Amino acid sequence: MADLGIPPHSDSNSREIADDLTRAADALETMQASGDLAPAVSSIITPMSPPPALFGAYGPMLKRFDESAVASRKGSLAPSPPPSVKGIGKKVAKPDYSEQKIVVAMVGLPARGKSYLSNKLMIYLRWLEYDVKVFNVGQLRRTKARQRAQQLGIKENHTADFFSHSNEKATQSRDSLAEESLEMLIRWLKEGGGNVGIHDATNSTKSRRAKIEARLAKEKGMTLIFLESLCDDPATIAANVELKVSQGDPDYKDMSPDDARKDFLRRISEYEKVYETITEPHLSYLRIKNVGEEVTMSRINGYLSSRIAFYLMNLHIRPRSIFFSRHGESQYNVEGKIGGDSLLSPRGMQYAKALPALITDNIGEKPLTVWTSTLKRTIQTAQYLPYTKLTWKSLDELDAGVCDGMTYEEIEQAYPDDSANRDEDKFNYRYRGGESYRDVVVRMEPVIMELERQENILIIGHQAILRCLYAYFHHLPQADLPYIKIPLHTVIKLTPKAYGCDEERYTLPINAVDTHRPKPKAAKAPEVHSTTQRKYYVEEDNEMKPSV
Amino acid sequence: MVAPLYTTDSGLLFHAGKILVITIGLPARGKTHISRALERYLRWMGVKTQVVSLGDYRRKTLGGAQKLPPDYFHLGEKSSETLALRRKILDGCEQLIWDFFKNGQVVIYDANNGTRAARKLLAEKFHNKGIHVIFLESLCDNKEIIEANIRSVKISSPDYRGWNPDDAVKDYYTRIRDHEEHYEPVEEKDWPYIRIVNVGEKIMVNNIKGYLQSRIVFFIMNIHNRPRTIYFARSGQSLIEHSYKADSDLSPAGWEYAEKLKDFVLQRRAKTLELRGSNPQDQRLVIWTSTRRRAHHTAWPFLQAANVSTSSSGSYLATPTPSTPISTSNIPILEDGIKNLVIDPNNLPTPPALAPATAPLNIKVIEKPQMSEINPGIWDGLTPDQARKYYPQDWERFVKDPYAFRAPRAESYHDLSVRLEPVLIELEREKEDLLIIGHASVIRCLLAYLIGLPASEIPAIEIARGDLLEVMPASYGVHCKAYHFWDGPGRRGDDSTSGASGMDGDSKDENNFYENYAEDTKGKRKVGAVKEPEASISAVYESA
Repeated sequence: MADLGIPPHSDSNSREIADDLTRAADALETMQASGDLAPAVSSIITPMSPPPALFGAYGPMLKRFDESAVASRKGSLAPSPPPSVKGIGKKVAKPDYSEQKIVVAMVGLPARGKSYLSNKLMIYLRWLEYDVKVFNVGQLRRTKARQRAQQLGIKENHTADFFSHSNEKATQSRDSLAEESLEMLIRWLKEGGGNVGIHDATNSTKSRRAKIEARLAKEKGMTLIFLESLCDDPATIAANVELKVSQGDPDYKDMSPDDARKDFLRRISEYEKVYETITEPHLSYLRIKNVGEEVTMSRINGYLSSRIAFYLMNLHIRPRSIFFSRHGESQYNVEGKIGGDSLLSPRGMQYAKALPALITDNIGEKPLTVWTSTLKRTIQTAQYLPYTKLTWKSLDELDAGVCDGMTYEEIEQAYPDDSANRDEDKFNYRYRGGESYRDVVVRMEPVIMELERQENILIIGHQAILRCLYAYFHHLPQADLPYIKIPLHTVIKLTPKAYGCDEERYTLPINAVDTHRPKPKAAKAPEVHSTTQRKYYVEEDNEMKPSV
Repeated sequence: MVAPLYTTDSGLLFHAGKILVITIGLPARGKTHISRALERYLRWMGVKTQVVSLGDYRRKTLGGAQKLPPDYFHLGEKSSETLALRRKILDGCEQLIWDFFKNGQVVIYDANNGTRAARKLLAEKFHNKGIHVIFLESLCDNKEIIEANIRSVKISSPDYRGWNPDDAVKDYYTRIRDHEEHYEPVEEKDWPYIRIVNVGEKIMVNNIKGYLQSRIVFFIMNIHNRPRTIYFARSGQSLIEHSYKADSDLSPAGWEYAEKLKDFVLQRRAKTLELRGSNPQDQRLVIWTSTRRRAHHTAWPFLQAANVSTSSSGSYLATPTPSTPISTSNIPILEDGIKNLVIDPNNLPTPPALAPATAPLNIKVIEKPQMSEINPGIWDGLTPDQARKYYPQDWERFVKDPYAFRAPRAESYHDLSVRLEPVLIELEREKEDLLIIGHASVIRCLLAYLIGLPASEIPAIEIARGDLLEVMPASYGVHCKAYHFWDGPGRRGDDSTSGASGMDGDSKDENNFYENYAEDTKGKRKVGAVKEPEASISAVYESA
């Protein structure tokens, strides 16, 4: 192509294209005339009988088109063209995030919500498929102490004295723990393919931050952001302290709650003596005061960093509940068809009528907003609810593309190979002309952001949509996401807590079909374990091993 | 999430109430730049927004600085006439704000508001009427930014018409000096505020609550003013243009187009970088496509050219390979203000033999699922005639309001705008040169945002295949140029054998919005026909 990008006009070439397109158009018209195409969608009533879904996988059109398309590919100029399109979908690999290497170093006194923020951040970014890991210095300290206690029988003193700045030996030991944790983090970013490593420690002095900065300056391509959590609201601090002493922190295993509280407060005051808030003008940092009340951002560059900042800005810790419900049973559910925009079945209507009492009993006088999709079945389900209702296009069900309106059996019959492919790797499988679960997660990201900002919300949604949202709140891995059980005629109530969500389910005694398709081989739904517990030890994987 | 699909009883978007953003800052600190950008963004979201500029109002009412009494800009002792004059301007501006709030939702009051007492008075007045007030302070301690701002914006204002530039700069500095003495930075925590230091270097946010307010913060976090170029081009013709679901491959003409696009973009970019004084190898070209085959296959030749190692279908990282930079010195340079200038593809100089390439071609291709074309819903695969025949009522409503109407299962342009909002934020944030290989509907939405066209105009923007749009953000808007580089099947729907052959022979149909839902183009009104004061369109489209 040395001719400045302007092609010489090739008549024979354009005739070939014209021929192909003519063929396609002809085929289309012939099939329409002979009634050879997919039958009409029965639920939409229009004066004229509605047209067939021309390129749906139901009729012969798509297959015939694919055959003719193979022939027409011959004119391609690309030396090595991408694989040709065929069938009803394909697996799509995860986007390449390998260029993202961010170290988030927490800064803040104990009981200021550092672990809360780092945990939230990890869940959010993992949900978006970034590889994120929290390196908590406290966990490392406790794990190491436990090892020593088990192996050598040494019992260490981890009361407030250990955290005093004047206790030189302990200070040294704490410093080296923080350094070790940072080294583990860096190694994981470099060798473990990680994207965001969160260094969860107090990092409360300028000299400590300078050390981190100097250490990371030696690594290429890593961005360092400090995330400072300030809190001057006595009630919040007291609640955090209570959480700490009541939730079984091993540091206070053998103490009465009163002693534990006293000791912990003393630990805080030891830190306060040397605490320096971030004022270093050259650092990239984000300072959050009282979770969202006041936010300062300095030198936050890069796309992911700014996403992190925006996400943290939207968090709040006011108590609230999030309710999920699928629409009532629809006519398509009864027929076993996927997608579509059908109305509710009689049982679905029963559910819609029973829903207001259930919700109102539960929420009482508190304000609530109902979100629905733009599809008829969710709007119908919400119709009797006495709350403000908003319709979001983003909440529409996963688009099954060419398979919309078909039953799984029909798909399997028409495209046995593709159907098996999807079963194998549902999260990554994108329907032709439609979406994959990953696409839905990307689509849901603004919804999550908005949900974090809101208070009591009821979402009347669809199976795939609610799976994506549910996986976020319960921190479930993406591979399990498409198999989460969200049955019909059931309300799921999530109540966010410091380290996870409490869950309650209310099933109304109205029968409905089961639309859940278990994973073919390992027919095991992902387990939801109570995630509201804080973790006190480093998780049992190999990360302890390299730290000699 | 942005722009929900409802309006409240009051006709306002969101339950956000009315918002007054009061800008605060010394002159030449970029207040106007930020105000205008914010106005453009909020308007694109469908929020009725207006910048009220004290400076503009003063110039309009009293004329340029020459016509003002000499003590007008001095904050010390003033004569009573001057005080009265200033009072008149302030009151006039305030009245403008009240007037706009009758129907509008957000006002950005672009003025210095440098003293605490004055802005408190103003804020309280509006706060007491139930309007949310936000202080937006722009601070700048970087002398270079200030000087650049004065030279590029201030001295070209009508105040300095006919002045020698250096004298004007000097005079402007004296004007600022007086302000500096009396300036009180925002420290009052009782009002929600956003403080920006050196155009985004540091941002401080206090007590910002509410939906629109937090969108405003996020937007401001992401804007920057580094020079860069955004290119737009259509994806190549595909085998079935009018089907969304079939997600078909490129046609042979589409492949040919993709090759030409690559050649032309690399050549244009080399030229731009040369003018900017940057080395093409230093600056990466980022390409965004949708996940639709017709779009990311159009980016294929770029990857071929850069001798790719395809890491995954999600994104490709180009690895070094000698490229073929082509000398373009003989191509006429488009200048601002020249209309209808199109490069004649048949009359281009032949390039010299390949220049030796020394460094790698730095290209990254990213596929974004949010950038898929507008979903035609039940109309998928239908010709306009068929759509009209089978869905007469829907069709009628669609033709009446092609922006807001949503056919069953389909997306309206409004839905598409909502879906594209995250892309738009990324677009603002991106610092590298960017090529967007997009679908007509997607390019329309993004371009409308950049140029500042009202939403209702979006469906009417014409994006022809074979044109490369070059958009360069500037302080008061963007410079937008169109280069025509290719003629062939699918350029403007001149391919009579394409699937949508049901259209009547007219190649230009004023009301042909249906192509929104198909990728083949029949041609309609031109973007140049739309007049918008903020827009700076220096070249408009011309039919081939």
